[in-house]
Amino acid sequence: MSFVNFAAFFLLTIAFLLAFLRLIKRSNQPHRISTLDRVVALDLMATLSIGFMTLYAVETQKTVFMDAAVILALIAFLGTVAFARYLEKGN
Amino acid sequence: MLADIFILIGAFFMLVAAIGVYRMPDLYMRLHTNTKSATFGVGFLLLGAAFRFQNLDISARALAIMIFLFVTAPVAAHMIGRAAYFVGAPLWKGTLSDDLKGRYDPKTHELMSKSKTRKTGDKPTK
Amino acid sequence: MNYFILNIALALTWAMLIGDIHPVSLFTGFVIGYLILFTARRALGPSPYFGKVSRVIRFAFFFLWELIKSNLRVARDVLTRTDYMKPRIIAVPLDAKTDAEITLLANLISLTPGSLSLDVSTDRRTIYVHVMYAENAESVRREIKEGLERWVLDLLATEKE
Repeated sequence: MSFVNFAAFFLLTIAFLLAFLRLIKRSNQPHRISTLDRVVALDLMATLSIGFMTLYAVETQKTVFMDAAVILALIAFLGTVAFARYLEKGN
Repeated sequence: MLADIFILIGAFFMLVAAIGVYRMPDLYMRLHTNTKSATFGVGFLLLGAAFRFQNLDISARALAIMIFLFVTAPVAAHMIGRAAYFVGAPLWKGTLSDDLKGRYDPKTHELMSKSKTRKTGDKPTK
Repeated sequence: MNYFILNIALALTWAMLIGDIHPVSLFTGFVIGYLILFTARRALGPSPYFGKVSRVIRFAFFFLWELIKSNLRVARDVLTRTDYMKPRIIAVPLDAKTDAEITLLANLISLTPGSLSLDVSTDRRTIYVHVMYAENAESVRREIKEGLERWVLDLLATEKE
């Protein structure tokens, strides 16, 4: 593994950890607000996963991971929008 | 070489986004870092990957993801921001002014363009 | 649009002459075709196509620059103290009318310095923007109207011709 890839993996891992901490963080806000907070964290985690997959594809030269990244980009967007819509309308 | 620099910049900005999401004081500002830094970071990462792969198909795919993310990130942020205002996510205590206050109709989810107290005839200031 | 089709036809011709239809050869063909059309623009008659392409390119550079600026700023603020931020939610009156204009403007606002579009009013006359650093609401309003909105209106107005 080249130094650049290692450094990038390292930075992304820390980023993932921080996003995860935000995801599990308890808050004394009402339920819907703290859920929205988590949606933001999840959205970030999806973006980070796309980054991971790209890096992994670069590292191992397995191009299948790029396809997976395409699909994840599509699905993460749908998920975020659905969550936001549900939290706005549903009660 | 160029690809390496792009990948490092991308990873750095994604870390910045994560730090921002972790430590920004309110939901709206977390959205700021999430839409800007994270998208920018992953964009650079994909650009680096597109340069690294000596294969046109894969590079095209990386560029497609990039464009898709740049189109969808603001839409997602808009949806979350709107929902956040509806469910009443608190603004940070340092927020100076809030023009949205009282302009949503809680039943129909309609949004007025100006407050009810002002006359409807006057033009908004430019 | 006529010239655009002609340009694509030229690009295809180029790719076929080269012998393989491939993104790179298509792109080269497109650029060469554009140059040919540009040189022959007097003979072919005036068209907004030429102005539009240069405008799109200039806009792309402007936007890229804004994007880089905004990210450096956000990065700096995320890594340093956060308590001097001056967030506001600001209502900006819209001159953009059509769906395409408003959508493009809202997306661009979300991607440029310290601003995030939250919602557009139902009568489409105001856009609500969350801004991270706003000493003065008026100057932010002016910046958006004279910067991004002017670009967007310019860019999409020529398309209708």
